[in-house]
Amino acid sequence: MNEVLSLRNLRKSYREADGNLLEVIRLREYTLGANEQAVLVGHSGSGKSTLLNLIAGILLPDEGEILVNGTDPTKLSEAARDRFRAANIGYVFQSFNLLQGFTALENVLLGQMFGGGTGGADRAIQLLKSVGLEHRLHHKPRALSVGEQQRVAIARALVNAPPLVLADEPTGSLDAKNGAAVLELLRRICADGKNSLLLVTHDPDVMKSFEKVVQLEDLR
Amino acid sequence: MNLLKIVMKNMRQRALATWLTGASVALGVALAVAILLVKQGVQQRFEQGTLGYEMVVGAKGSPLQLVLNTVYNLDISPGNISWKLFEQLRNDKRVKLAVPFSVGDNYHGFRIVGTTDAFFKDFEFEPGRKPELASGRIFNFNEATLRSAFQEAEQRARDREAKERGEEVKPAAELPTEHKERPFEAVIGSIVAQDTGLQIGQTFIAAHGVQPSAEAKEHTENPWTVVGILAPTHTAVDRAIYINLDSFYQIEGHEIRNPNDRKKEEKPAPAEEKDNDPDLGQVSSVVLKLRSPILAFSLYRELNDREDAMAAFPAAEIRKLFDIVGNIDSLLLAQAILIMVVAGVAIAVSIYNSMSERRREIAILRALGARRTTIFSVVLLEAMTICLVGAAVGLVGGHLVVAAANGFLYKASGFVIPAFHVQPLEWYVLVVAVILGAVSGLGPALGAYRTDVAKNLAPSS
Repeated sequence: MNEVLSLRNLRKSYREADGNLLEVIRLREYTLGANEQAVLVGHSGSGKSTLLNLIAGILLPDEGEILVNGTDPTKLSEAARDRFRAANIGYVFQSFNLLQGFTALENVLLGQMFGGGTGGADRAIQLLKSVGLEHRLHHKPRALSVGEQQRVAIARALVNAPPLVLADEPTGSLDAKNGAAVLELLRRICADGKNSLLLVTHDPDVMKSFEKVVQLEDLR
Repeated sequence: MNLLKIVMKNMRQRALATWLTGASVALGVALAVAILLVKQGVQQRFEQGTLGYEMVVGAKGSPLQLVLNTVYNLDISPGNISWKLFEQLRNDKRVKLAVPFSVGDNYHGFRIVGTTDAFFKDFEFEPGRKPELASGRIFNFNEATLRSAFQEAEQRARDREAKERGEEVKPAAELPTEHKERPFEAVIGSIVAQDTGLQIGQTFIAAHGVQPSAEAKEHTENPWTVVGILAPTHTAVDRAIYINLDSFYQIEGHEIRNPNDRKKEEKPAPAEEKDNDPDLGQVSSVVLKLRSPILAFSLYRELNDREDAMAAFPAAEIRKLFDIVGNIDSLLLAQAILIMVVAGVAIAVSIYNSMSERRREIAILRALGARRTTIFSVVLLEAMTICLVGAAVGLVGGHLVVAAANGFLYKASGFVIPAFHVQPLEWYVLVVAVILGAVSGLGPALGAYRTDVAKNLAPSS
């Protein structure tokens, strides 16, 4: 199976206010295959979001290797890393992170603009339809329910057809019913699009639906 | 989706701050443009206004006052010169045309100017442009009648002085018939006609003094009849009422005596030195057109060497005036630039203030793949767009303000400023506005450039 994500000997520390180093990430090895869907589990403050930011190239590791679709983004210049992230990684956040001044469609188009994605507005509309928002294309986030906002975020993450989708507690801000629906949608749409999905959570209900569940502590 | 759309969205999202900062830029630019337009327009019109008036001769005093009074119907007359001097000038070989003017009355604030028919027949207020009639005819003028008017005025003055001394005054001799019924005729400027509603055949009563005053004596005994209305000239001519000089001297109170005459009477000259042509009448000023500009300076020197008169070059006096006024313009312009700079600072402060909420948006855009330089450009473009749009609105606004003020200006001065004449300097204003925007946005843009993505992705609690 082709590896979409490969992490080796990854370390990331932060210097605290008192000058001491706080190690947030220490990971020996982890891989995720093409079209695979997996969950990384960790308690609050275990470094789950930091790990996703390292994979996305938003943060740089102190040491170690990250390969996304065969490319180590840490070896790229910052501008190239930004371009690489936009084209190869879709990111779904717990707090949706939609831009409030833009409509649902425009939020998806923003992802397409930076990722150099093809298909234009048709692709964005088709994705929003596939997440059940064909009637909410021109609504701004404030006019959408939290479940709808997260569905817009999913469409935005997938607009450039990235090989890897990262989801940081995607159901964390939703109630159980909405959370289950969004999770089901995310998994289905990633499977349909042949996108690998790495989801981090501390929610036991989320873990239950995945075959590949790894505790972050076990990777040390 | 493109960068400009993101910029527009950002501006719309903070609409109030965008409008306020844009409006302050527009205000500064409108003020600067209006000042530039008014300064250049007024100067141009004033300088153009002097074209037909090569030299003005009047009583000793301020040359600028003489020019303002004669050419623009502003200020008061510095005094009078004798009709005899006018005749000397008219007969001078260097002089092509001499037109006398006498002022002293007004109608509803419009100056009444006594002159001769030469003003309409021979005088060009601008090269190739004579005052033209829109309707009616010019007034009748007869120099013999004028001379008898001078004699009568002189006699009235003598009688008044005699009365003041307590002497008995003999009734004046009968005038020849042709001089008795002098026409009190007037030709009015276009603004006068428009403002007062006077029409051909209507009469009006003048008030004494060049400015309207509640205490001014009205010449009720001698109403003037409008016989002609002039076409608009866009000069001070439009704001004046022209009457024949002989009727001017027929009016009670216009019998101003030449001080030299009074002195001569008090101390009579020996018989052999007696003047056979007594110096009777006076005029406020004389406008000269010369046969050659080379001859102007010799005449100018001669006149200024006299004790009873002086000459002034209107164009030179107006240039001097604008040299002085130019400093005030510079101050106003500096004030307008200051407003623009303050607007620039306001833009910087406004964007800085919104940076805490923007940081999350910036982090989201970065997470979506936007480069630092893209974020830098978005913030910089926003500041530049506010300044550019504000400046463009200000440019249009400045022209509209001048256009709106033109109605008032035309009534007040007789001329209008070309409000929609775009000056090359205005394009520089746009460039300066864009630079100002770039400078204002530079600090916030650098702040945006340095935004920590990971730290700002999570919502701030």
